[in-house]
Amino acid sequence: MTPERFHTIVAAYGADPQRWPRDERNDALEWARAHRAQANAVLEEALELDSWLARDMIAPPERALFEQIVAGAPVQGVVAKRRSYWWSGAAFAGVGLAGALAGALTMSLLMPGGTTSAPHENSYLNTMNTSFGGSGSDWSEPGAVPGAEGSDE
Amino acid sequence: MQDREAGKTLSERDPDADLVARVGARDPLAVRALVASKLPRLIALATRMLGDCNEAEDVAQEAFVRIWKQAPTWRTGEAKFDTWLHRVALNLCYDRLRGRREETVDDLHAMTEPAPDPAGAPDQQLEARTRDQRVRAALAALPVRQREALVLTYYQELSNLEAAGLMGISVDALESLLARARRTLRAQLAGDATGKDSV
Repeated sequence: MTPERFHTIVAAYGADPQRWPRDERNDALEWARAHRAQANAVLEEALELDSWLARDMIAPPERALFEQIVAGAPVQGVVAKRRSYWWSGAAFAGVGLAGALAGALTMSLLMPGGTTSAPHENSYLNTMNTSFGGSGSDWSEPGAVPGAEGSDE
Repeated sequence: MQDREAGKTLSERDPDADLVARVGARDPLAVRALVASKLPRLIALATRMLGDCNEAEDVAQEAFVRIWKQAPTWRTGEAKFDTWLHRVALNLCYDRLRGRREETVDDLHAMTEPAPDPAGAPDQQLEARTRDQRVRAALAALPVRQREALVLTYYQELSNLEAAGLMGISVDALESLLARARRTLRAQLAGDATGKDSV
């Protein structure tokens, strides 16, 4: 550490050693201890300005600004909300569909035989030759159930 | 805080890395923590660079918009987040400073002075505020590069390497700017003190 370098450091960074370049701090402090009178003259001059600079305080930001900035951030909650909307919509549609099916089933049980199935449905089911192939009236007639017939044989 | 060794500073772990990663993952708590941590620094930087609280708030808000965009793809190691944020804020400040080139130093002084208190302040408060105004006015009157150097190293407490890197100059050039800034301020504030009062 030279006197010139010590002077440059204090002139640039002030009197507080914590603000001096880290890799030169120890050398500078050592030089100051060894040349106390010279160092004090330089440090005293810088200290006056440091005290001036320390007076300049900036007020902390307003809470409203903080909240405004936070509100502008794209957070996970927005995505979760969208998902929940999607699920709630699907659930709503599901409930509606279930209700419609339940209503159709109720009507099929309450209405007289054969009237609930449209003609094309009957033909379609008949050609498939399934257990659903018969009309509603078939199911209501004793001995007309395919399984019952088979068991009688 | 000061360090002339480039390797040492850049190899240090970025203290904001984890928080930024969580912000990138849209963690609401991390968002609040990051705003609480960086907003005061951004406001302080922009207020001292621009000398205007309202403009400083605008700069801070714009800087956070950049953060929200950048966070999901932020990669540690290329630059410290805080240094990058200072670069963003400084660019925003320079955009505004360029827009007011015609303004005189007197205009800057006027902007930095807080509005008068209509109720009247006690003597001590008034005196303290007068001192603060003079320091703020003296800072505002500095050439912009000198002010930038002083604000980054003294108030934002960046290392000399970080400040020099942000300003695109060598550490020697930074120290020259700092020394000139401090000389000018000392002369101005000492002159004010003897001319106006005995503070």
